Amino acid sequence: MEDTIQDNVCEESVFGSIFKATSKTVFNYIYYKFGNEEKAHDAVQEAFVKLWENCGKVSPQKAKSFVYTVANNTYLNVIKAEKVRLKYADKRLKTTNESPEYIMEENEFKEKLDRALGDLPENQRTTFLLNRIDGKKYAEIAEMEGVSVKAIEKRMHLALKTLREKIDGI
Amino acid sequence: MQENHLAKWLNNELTEAELTEFKKSEAYATYERIRSVSETMEAPNFDVEQALAAVQNRRALQSTKVVQLHPFKKFLRVAAAIAVLITGSYFYLNTLGEKISTEYAENKEIVLPDNSEIFLNADSEISYDEKNWDRKRTIELQGEAFFKVAKGKRFTVETEAGTIAVLGTQFNVEGRKDFFEVTCYEGLVSVLFNGVETKLPAGNSLMAINGTLVDTMTPTTEAPSWINKESEFKSIPLRYVLDEFQRQHNIVVRTENVDLDQLYTGTFSNTDADLAMKSISVPSRIKFKFEGNKVLFYAENTP
Repeated sequence: MEDTIQDNVCEESVFGSIFKATSKTVFNYIYYKFGNEEKAHDAVQEAFVKLWENCGKVSPQKAKSFVYTVANNTYLNVIKAEKVRLKYADKRLKTTNESPEYIMEENEFKEKLDRALGDLPENQRTTFLLNRIDGKKYAEIAEMEGVSVKAIEKRMHLALKTLREKIDGI
Repeated sequence: MQENHLAKWLNNELTEAELTEFKKSEAYATYERIRSVSETMEAPNFDVEQALAAVQNRRALQSTKVVQLHPFKKFLRVAAAIAVLITGSYFYLNTLGEKISTEYAENKEIVLPDNSEIFLNADSEISYDEKNWDRKRTIELQGEAFFKVAKGKRFTVETEAGTIAVLGTQFNVEGRKDFFEVTCYEGLVSVLFNGVETKLPAGNSLMAINGTLVDTMTPTTEAPSWINKESEFKSIPLRYVLDEFQRQHNIVVRTENVDLDQLYTGTFSNTDADLAMKSISVPSRIKFKFEGNKVLFYAENTP
């Protein structure tokens, strides 16, 4: 009984902590799908305003998948995907004394990877990036996308295969 | 090799043997590179605090929107109340129907839809429902009136003091502040006074002063005296006589040292004020002084 009172999503603090834990993933998720930052921001707004409006009906355990679903439905087939632009953390500059040739070659690889990512089907790209950037487990991605873990593994497999083929020019 | 082995490899789920075999493959180097480079990728910046503030703003905005709607709702409520009042009063006023009144020193003759006649004495008022007259012959009366009722359905006169019901007859009703008198000249009249019903045959009358029944004269004429421009009294306290004088002549009456309870029997003219004042003062042994539209009655032994 006490648990339900404490864990009410309508509580400002509970809502706030759910927001802090989930909003970044929602943002990235929509961004990987459509490559549009503005739309991703709007999706976050939409999803969490809806969560607040339904805070009495959604338990904290269900809140995560609720916001994923709302965010996903916000742009269901309505917008055209744009090119996803990703940054790369520049760890190497400070720590390494690699040759200019190596750095050039490295940048070339990144460009190829970027291009290959842009050419991936939306669901493969989203799965790949959620795993690589956000460290999401296949099971969690499966929950977000509303498919089985097996389907996510398949997407991941195909994503890697396609990326490698594009990069190696096969 | 397992199904989806690339996914398994990325998740460190390959067996030792599978991994060794995979590492031997031509494509492994690129896969390994994709894995390591993709680890340094970053999504666009996302300011969690700012986004949370934005959500809270929108929530606040939405709740104020609800407040903004209120004035309109209030307006609707007021508008609905006014509409109800207007329709209500329209129907109420409609049911009130016709209203006819007389001022001081004024008489009126009214012919009703069924040819019944009403003669309205001075300072009196009747009202009735003209539209439903065929179904409901009811007159509300304040003051004095003489009725010649055409034969037909029950005809009712309602006054503050009592209710008179007839079928077809001629009768006079006077219902004033504390004076109630019904005189029947023809047919039969039923008078409901203080919850008691009295049948009044032709040539009889019923009078009540201050709510109590008093004996009264039996009419000798075929119509009340005021129809013939005279006011006739028999053993009526002087105060009511003077009230009637004031009504008939529109002259303000004042008195000084006069016993208003003494009984007056007589007749005064409703047309000749001077004559009327004499008719009142001489039998009562009082004097009067007449100025403009005021008259002062005073006792003989006072200056």
